[in-house]
Amino acid sequence: MRYAVLFLAVMLIATALITGCTQQQAAVGTSHQQAAASNGEIKIGVVASLTGPASNVGKNMWQSASLAADEINADGGVYVKSFNGNVPVMLIQGDDESTREGGQKAVTKLITDDKVDIVVGGYSSAVTSAYEQTIAEHKIPFVVTGASSPIITHRDDIDTSTVFHHCPTTDAYGQYTTLFIDQTVRPAINAKFSFPETRPLRLAVIYQDSPFGKGVLTAVQDTIAQNNLNIEVVAEQSYKMGESDFRTPLTVIKAADPDVVYAVAFPNEVGQMLPQARRDVGLNTIFAVPENNDAPEYYKAIGKYGEGSVIESRFSPYTAPAGSIDTAQNTFKEDYKAKYGNYPDMMGASTYEGVYIAVQAIENAGTTDKAAVKQALDTINMPQIIEAMKDGTISFSKDHRESQFDLWIEQLSIDQAAGECRPHIVWPDNLKVTEFVLPDWYQPGNT
Amino acid sequence: MDDIGILLQVIFWGLYAGCIYILLATGLNLIFGVMKIVNFAHGEFLMIGAYITATIFFLTGLNPYVIILFSMLALIGIGAVVERLCFRPILGTSKLNEIFLSIGLIYIFQSGAAMIWGDEWQSIKSPYEGITIPLGSLNVPLDYIIIIVVTAGILCALYLFLRKTKTGREMRATSQNRKGAVLVGINVERMDILSFGLGCALAAAAGTLWVVSGQVFNPYMGSIPAVKAFAIIILGGLGSIPGAIIGGLIYGIAENGAAYYLGGVWKDAISFIILIVVLVVRPTGLFGESGE
Repeated sequence: MRYAVLFLAVMLIATALITGCTQQQAAVGTSHQQAAASNGEIKIGVVASLTGPASNVGKNMWQSASLAADEINADGGVYVKSFNGNVPVMLIQGDDESTREGGQKAVTKLITDDKVDIVVGGYSSAVTSAYEQTIAEHKIPFVVTGASSPIITHRDDIDTSTVFHHCPTTDAYGQYTTLFIDQTVRPAINAKFSFPETRPLRLAVIYQDSPFGKGVLTAVQDTIAQNNLNIEVVAEQSYKMGESDFRTPLTVIKAADPDVVYAVAFPNEVGQMLPQARRDVGLNTIFAVPENNDAPEYYKAIGKYGEGSVIESRFSPYTAPAGSIDTAQNTFKEDYKAKYGNYPDMMGASTYEGVYIAVQAIENAGTTDKAAVKQALDTINMPQIIEAMKDGTISFSKDHRESQFDLWIEQLSIDQAAGECRPHIVWPDNLKVTEFVLPDWYQPGNT
Repeated sequence: MDDIGILLQVIFWGLYAGCIYILLATGLNLIFGVMKIVNFAHGEFLMIGAYITATIFFLTGLNPYVIILFSMLALIGIGAVVERLCFRPILGTSKLNEIFLSIGLIYIFQSGAAMIWGDEWQSIKSPYEGITIPLGSLNVPLDYIIIIVVTAGILCALYLFLRKTKTGREMRATSQNRKGAVLVGINVERMDILSFGLGCALAAAAGTLWVVSGQVFNPYMGSIPAVKAFAIIILGGLGSIPGAIIGGLIYGIAENGAAYYLGGVWKDAISFIILIVVLVVRPTGLFGESGE
């Protein structure tokens, strides 16, 4: 019994230390801002998955937001007319714990206890949807920078008029990837293997059984139908979120003889799927994956098996499109790396921009009044920051309050120095830095 | 590839998946058999085994199949400490105590692992990663053949230990009748600590094989395998080691068969459908005894 009491005491101390470390970490990003906030401040709640399975993405979002806040404060803060001068930005963490319940708890606290002026962030669509009700009840302006389901601003069961979507949706993922496959991969296969132009490209889709996976699958089907593309979907295989063994669905896909496999999955899933496909099942084909995989851990996980695969993207740790956005992205990446020791991911990039958008809206509104800030977001029109936007500007559509990104496709090749694959932009023409190529080992489906 | 070829491949993937389940479930059953406790944190021992393997691999570059020995030894020690300090004080009290204690341990182990190793997904590469062996119509990765052989080797060693050594026989006696074991002079507390340590070592072996096969891992990876291990021991019969082995194989093959014939979303459901059917037909599980 004596040992048990001792053990429990040690465990309690350990738990307290863990909790203490976490809270201390949360305070680091805000301490100097709090000190400067005696005469008013802009309080931005950042909702991210700081603990739980999605915490790697959540940390990236929080750290990117902190970087933006530090830059803004170092530049003198934000001019707000009602404060009659410049005020600093203060970020407050809202850890959704990678769960719906955690998200509701975090957002309720941000709104009722911390009394934030605006909320930025949100990763999982399922989690974000769960706390949107609270956002709607309090009519808090919310710039969503991570959840990709279009339902976030399309749902009509609650009032989402204060929710603004600043990240591409699953509709865009599926549309851009399918158009790329039709415009670039299909002609390359036909040319290399002397197939007639009339031969339909054989596309297989393996997708996560979630709003994310199903949303992309629907977008692929809609894009093919609406544009009358010469693409035949020869296999559709679903799996449960968090799956780690994909050999059986991949075996089924191989039996369908696809030309291209679209893997609609998270990095921890594709990181296992690609090696299993190439090494275990012998699927020597082109894999296409959505943008959420464009992160350092993905390149590490797929190793050499990623060679030749393609990623639809808008921000990559290892490449940038030709043009002016290149410098802005590199500055952000290097600043982030200097501060945190690794590269940011795209959820971090859009959250970094989300803080700037929030601040700009408050500056335009001249007040932190929520209705005025919401109106300012409705009409915001600011230059693109680090991600390529349509027409080079950030603004939200009138119907569903979605900003319009200029997406691109990267192809991976082995980088001997890094010992891993690295991406190169191959589509569209205005952003590409090199041409798409079919690898030597590539095998097409049935003729 | 013809249908038979695909089916053989699916069965082979099931065998491989079954190996991980068998090791985890056998460890769980060994602990339950001797101590009659329910430890929901068993999956966390698999997670710790995975991290120990990866840490030694990154530090020394040793062959990960050799590291399995270190990983198992480390978990015998950790298991013994957990048994002595956590489970022994509540042994024989309400099952609720065991459940809440093990749930608490899940959080402590997950948070501790996240603090030590971080909570990002990680993976390691086996030295035999790119090697495949033609086996009939299949092209099988060497790693999976080694994994199946290593699992079989561990199970044979466990069988010999339980059948041929004095300690093993004492452990079985404690499992069959705890009071009887006490009456014939067996130190049942020593059996408790040994069985808990051994059970954790088997979970560590499962963790090592998990990472060697190239699967990613993070501090939260243990929960789903643990749930499946519980389903397997209920299917095979509580306390029955042959039941855990057969149950693990059935689950591995059934899951992959369901993914092939019904789709990936049925992969987890099929295991529990089998469980329900077996429990309706034979409530004690395939190899369980009515007294248990």
